[in-house]
Amino acid sequence: MIYLDWASTSPPDASILAEAARMAGEFYGNPSSPHALGKSARAKLEEARSGLLGLLGPGAAKGRLVFTGSGSEADSLPLLALLRKASKDGTKPHIVASGIEHAAIHEELPVLARFGLSFTLVDPGAEGLLDPGAVAAALRPETEAVFVMAVNNETGAVQPLAEIARAVAARAASFGRRRPRLHADAVQALGKLPFEPAALGLDSAAFSAHKLRGPRGVGALWTARDFEPLLLGGGQEGGLRPGTESLQAAWGFMRAAALAAADLEERRRRALELEALLIEGLEGIGALPLPLGRRPGDPRYSPFILSVAFPGLSGEVLVRALATVSGAATTRGAATTRGAATARGAATARGAASLVGAQGTEGIAVSTGSACSANLRRKGRRVLEAMGLEPALALGSIRVSTGELSTQEEISTFLERAGDLRSRLGIRS
Amino acid sequence: MEDTTLYLVKVGEILLKLGNRQEFEGRLRTELKERLGEIPNAKVDYSPGRFFVTVPAARAADAEAILARTPGVNGFARTLRTEKTFAAVAKAAVAVAEREVAAGKGSFKVESRRSDKSFPLGSFELSRDLGAAILEACPGLHVDLHRPAFTVHAEIREKAFVFGDPEPGLRGLPVGSQGRGILLLSGGIDSPVAGYLMARRGLALDALYFHAFPYTSEEAHEKVKDLARVLAGFTGGLRLWTVPFTEVQLAIKRGAREDLTTLMMRAAFMEIASRLAARRHANCLVTGESLGQVASQTAPNLRFTQSTTDLPVLRPLIGMDKEETIATARRIGTYNISIRPYEDCCVIFSPKHPLLRAELQRERAAYEALALGPLLDQALEAVERMDIAFSERILGAK
Repeated sequence: MIYLDWASTSPPDASILAEAARMAGEFYGNPSSPHALGKSARAKLEEARSGLLGLLGPGAAKGRLVFTGSGSEADSLPLLALLRKASKDGTKPHIVASGIEHAAIHEELPVLARFGLSFTLVDPGAEGLLDPGAVAAALRPETEAVFVMAVNNETGAVQPLAEIARAVAARAASFGRRRPRLHADAVQALGKLPFEPAALGLDSAAFSAHKLRGPRGVGALWTARDFEPLLLGGGQEGGLRPGTESLQAAWGFMRAAALAAADLEERRRRALELEALLIEGLEGIGALPLPLGRRPGDPRYSPFILSVAFPGLSGEVLVRALATVSGAATTRGAATTRGAATARGAATARGAASLVGAQGTEGIAVSTGSACSANLRRKGRRVLEAMGLEPALALGSIRVSTGELSTQEEISTFLERAGDLRSRLGIRS
Repeated sequence: MEDTTLYLVKVGEILLKLGNRQEFEGRLRTELKERLGEIPNAKVDYSPGRFFVTVPAARAADAEAILARTPGVNGFARTLRTEKTFAAVAKAAVAVAEREVAAGKGSFKVESRRSDKSFPLGSFELSRDLGAAILEACPGLHVDLHRPAFTVHAEIREKAFVFGDPEPGLRGLPVGSQGRGILLLSGGIDSPVAGYLMARRGLALDALYFHAFPYTSEEAHEKVKDLARVLAGFTGGLRLWTVPFTEVQLAIKRGAREDLTTLMMRAAFMEIASRLAARRHANCLVTGESLGQVASQTAPNLRFTQSTTDLPVLRPLIGMDKEETIATARRIGTYNISIRPYEDCCVIFSPKHPLLRAELQRERAAYEALALGPLLDQALEAVERMDIAFSERILGAK
């Protein structure tokens, strides 16, 4: 299978997983234990922590790094902490968030609202970028936190965080208040572009290991400002994230991030080449890279992520057709019908495969933000719709994302198949 | 010997059709034997107007699941079989009453039938004496002949049979007594309910699904298979035919006027179903259509879409309110499958302003102009067949 879905997850680096597992086996003590085994495990855990912290730029040391179970959890820690603020001093916090945040934040906000907190969403412009002035204008005197993702996971738009930090600070000062917490979900930024949260003026940022070929089940929160966490327990991770620490997870994350950082410039260079190939190739087959008019090499977008609309096609249908390999449907049918699939069944599957031009070809993995039905409920393509893209185009879009193992041949194959499918399956509207 | 549980099975409507009674009872007997045959050592015996079903006690729940889903069964009750002496019958009657009292019921009556006239007590006397025995054993109970909380039944046949209130059956007619129909099964809420209702009227069913990969997903196909599995519990097994429909759909989309696409598609559905019916010796088609529910289901549009078949198109939901259909879907266990979010991606194919009033001759001409014949042949040639055992969803132990 040709894998062009790196923004969803990346193929893990087996040597990193093996090394992390070995560390976990060797230093198995509980890092909180006072005996020698505990102390050695603690030392390795702190080595992983400082290693990862060291990749976040010189100013990052003024904050601390907390290992979590996922990027989503790293987003949730400061967000849910606002519930405790609410209960203490009577005034309920207000939150400002971009309209294109990851679900970890976007879905949580209405829940917080049920507990009396309020929030304001700020949508980006047609180019997928937030206007710092608009973010600042959404502030109120009681605003306690601002959430803006560093790199959008659907469009690759790199948000102007430094400008947002300054604008937010100025607006807060006009209320005679200290700047509210500015948190960035940087899951699609770490290891993909130079990212220094302290230099950007952030107060906290969330990361995830599995987007960088590290293990699943581990994220990290960098925070320069303390908060009172909602979940309490054994006091681990400076009290911010209770639960016995996983050296395996922390070590795997640190190694994956270190490898990505060491190779950052080279990976970006190759990603930019693939981006150019993709954007030009897609235009050649009548597809529309998003946001409309996006050019190769534009520093406002991550070259690793590209959404593209195919007018007259549904993104979901295209994703499904691209994923089809000759014979794949047969295997699946046989498995689910308990052997009842007959020779005729296989013929159907072959028919389907030939229809989508998949005979003897590899499947290609890309993604759509949503299922068609989810679209109808305005969920899946909310990022594109928040940018004001017309629904028909949002519905017809897919996301292609590359990573360090992606090749020009893969992009060429994708373009060829996508062009072919566009003419076979496209519906004039 | 293994512990067994005995059920008395009442047959309902069958008795009204005196002319066909034998055939219908034979059909029901075959159905019961076939379905209960899934349970080792299950036995089905016939006694006029009744069936007696014996299963190993450990499989009683499975037997009840089967009896509750077999059309033609009016009701069924766990039954005690005793010698034909008053003492034995009274002991059984008290046992039945004690079970009901334990369930919190306070009033009862006794109904007796005596087909063995050699039994010394008449029906009236037997009821009266059994009532007295029950009252003596369960002092908290009282008799209420008009609105009893439960009834104890005693039947004196070749043996004596004693049972409480029967569990309701599906009623209706035994599957197959009305021949076979082709059910157009989509992943929606309506068509499985339509299939269930017609199975209850004695129709054996094949289900037909139109798969438009990649416009419809494998998940949508799986959903239809799961619906078929639930239906199979009522129909006593089901054959699901999956027709690859993509080429037809594309030909319609490219060749038909936009406001006609859905109508043309449904006309093609009917034509394919009609051809499958011929192959399967089916005598009708079944759809989940309901008058006016969507644009394609107005009377003029139904007239056009059914013009590609000369078989009767049975539409049991035609006059039903959506809420009623949903209630039935919940009851038979298809609703939660139907609402899985894999509806067809027909957004692309559905016209924005579909035609509401087809004119038969004009629309027929448009359909003919599409010349779909060869594509329909191809689609039928590539049809996929899947046989679903009736027991896939209802026997817990498997």
